[in-house]
Amino acid sequence: MKILVCLKQVPHQDARLDVNGDGTWIREEGIKFEINSYDTFALEEALRVKDAGEAEVVVASIGPERVSQALRTALGMGADRAVHLKDDALAGSDALGIAQALAAIAREEQPDLVFTGLMSDDGNASSVPPMLAHLLDMPHATAVVKTEHKDAGLRIERELEGGALELVEIDLPCLIAVQSGINQVRYASLKGIMAAKKKPIAAKTAADLGVAELVGAAAAKVAIEKIEPPPKGDRAEILEGTTDEIVAGLLGKIKELGLL
Amino acid sequence: MSLLVVAEIQQGAIREASYELLAFAARIGGEVSSLVIGDAALASEFAKRGGGSTWSASDAALANYNVDGYAAAILAAVEASGADTVLISNTPVGWDVAPRVAAALDAGFVSDAFDVQDGRYRRRVFNGKLDAWVRSSAAKTVVSVQPGALPAIDNQNEGGGEVKELALELPKLRARFLETRESDAGGVDLSQADVIVSGGRGVGDPEKFPEVIQPLAEALGGAMGASRPVVDAGWLPHEYQVGSSGQVVTPKLYIAIGISGAIQHLVGMKGSNYIIAINKDPDAPIFEVAQLGVVGDLFEIVPALTSAVTAARG
Ligand SMILES: Cc1cc2nc3c(=O)[nH]c(=O)nc-3n(C[C@@H](O)[C@H](O)[C@H](O)COP(=O)(O)OP(=O)(O)OC[C@H]3O[C@@H](n4cnc5c(N)ncnc54)[C@H](O)[C@@H]3O)c2cc1C
Ligand SMILES: Cc1cc2nc3c(=O)[nH]c(=O)nc-3n(C[C@H](O)[C@H](O)[C@H](O)COP(=O)(O)OP(=O)(O)OC[C@H]3O[C@@H](n4cnc5c(N)ncnc54)[C@H](O)[C@@H]3O)c2cc1C
Repeated sequence: MKILVCLKQVPHQDARLDVNGDGTWIREEGIKFEINSYDTFALEEALRVKDAGEAEVVVASIGPERVSQALRTALGMGADRAVHLKDDALAGSDALGIAQALAAIAREEQPDLVFTGLMSDDGNASSVPPMLAHLLDMPHATAVVKTEHKDAGLRIERELEGGALELVEIDLPCLIAVQSGINQVRYASLKGIMAAKKKPIAAKTAADLGVAELVGAAAAKVAIEKIEPPPKGDRAEILEGTTDEIVAGLLGKIKELGLL
Repeated sequence: MSLLVVAEIQQGAIREASYELLAFAARIGGEVSSLVIGDAALASEFAKRGGGSTWSASDAALANYNVDGYAAAILAAVEASGADTVLISNTPVGWDVAPRVAAALDAGFVSDAFDVQDGRYRRRVFNGKLDAWVRSSAAKTVVSVQPGALPAIDNQNEGGGEVKELALELPKLRARFLETRESDAGGVDLSQADVIVSGGRGVGDPEKFPEVIQPLAEALGGAMGASRPVVDAGWLPHEYQVGSSGQVVTPKLYIAIGISGAIQHLVGMKGSNYIIAINKDPDAPIFEVAQLGVVGDLFEIVPALTSAVTAARG
């Protein structure tokens, strides 16, 4: 079985976010990046299939040079190979553009199973996975919290609202967009990190993949016109002062609410 | 502008969120038609209550959500109605099918919009820390709308649009619904607690819950809760989780500690009578729903507060 895992590198969850010069994204200089949290669960789910038997795990990511760090981490965790689509032409792509580029990679790799995250921690679009599945003419399922291989397909659980679950049977090949918490994600071992140094990362351009016309700002159907802090609502009254003063303020409020 | 509203059935009734789509459609402006998948009687109801001319896709194979069948039904309704804009709620059904439909239509896709002004849609990015205004330049646009974004329109007395059965040839269903079930219930019922003290990823590691969060909850005679990453990491079982995929709570007092305030957490606790937030980031979105806030290190504030509460109890 061959598994393709789509990984996005995103600003670190604790990074300071400042809006960039033209107000359309954040300033990326000087901040740390990490693998999108949902995608670490997707990779782990793929590695578990590999651990259980025969599977090759290929990771793919689209993004600038810094992304090779995320791919090295994935290889250190146990992925076999990586594909890095690195091309300035991708800048300003919308979700469909990203999906087109990932679809081109998938067509070269011919995976039986594609794992993605449910959502990116930066764009929060939850759009790429179902689009990619459509382009590959595969069925898909999102917010998946359990996978089990059965006959010619998978039996999966999708998370609904309020903790309810939906059991679905899905044919292979298919795309599974993983919800966080589906598994406990491993760390790369020292041995894994050493081994990763010898594993290949194939660099590709949009032209290599034949998608130059389908990606980038020119092809995008959706443009971000502006990024800004959310409007300030009825913002909380902020207690100031020493710790003692703050605690006195909190205590006073708790008493006033009749809870003490 | 010609809009297609895709209503959703949940537990035998049209969801409230579907009536919110009608409000969203009214804000965009244009002629509204609707699609109800899975139940012809509910299609008539939606048509009567503001859905306008309504397509019903009532094939038995659509009684439960499945991606191939629903995508085919929506695409057929887009074709039949000639709609240029498709609205669907950002629910487990909507987020699963909508981007796929958008790709099939070569449409612009706007995910989880909660506002629209002059053709620009507003959506949250970076887990609630920033907003993006986006615009579609494509001939067709698919928009998934955040539940609760706008008050629902329920035009009870509208008189109603006509209901038409959608001509539809279903493809092979490659993802098949088997059943739904509730996740294994644990022993924690947060809905009865007067006070809930919740810890988030900012609490940092599992040992800190019994050391820092639980003592405050106990001192206040309340219950402990958590955000999703805490549960995902296995620090606490799922029964402690507050939010859209956990419990929805409305205590007299909710104290959010080291929780940023992503929308999926907020929907689970914003109905609380009073909210206090403790977070080191002054820009954390949680301060927009809290009434009282402390910007600072939780490891300094919370133990001091616990001591003070314990002392006040005597
Ligand atoms: C400088 C800049 C400008 C931008 N301009 C625009 C714009 O004008 N219009 C617009 O719509 N968007 C724009 N974007 C955002 C756009 O590129 C999004 O990344 C895209 O819309 C996908 O949405 P998402 O990242 O939220 O992914 P989601 O759909 O939330 O991602 C879900 C999953 O898909 C996979 N995935 C997503 N992205 C990648 C990737 N790069 N590599 C590998 N796997 C991936 C991952 O498994 C991920 O978990 C811009 C981004 C940047 C950095
Ligand atoms: C379909 C779906 C369903 C979801 N369901 C839920 C749900 O039911 N419940 C839920 O909670 N989430 C849910 N989420 C996840 C949600 O999007 C957020 O990722 C999550 O709520 C973030 O949790 P957090 O605030 O604890 O973590 P973060 O967003 O990482 O915030 C941590 C906060 O801690 C603060 N902090 C760090 N250190 C300190 C310190 N020493 N002192 C004070 N403050 C500190 C930081 O400033 C930060 O604001 C769902 C997501 C999806 C896509």
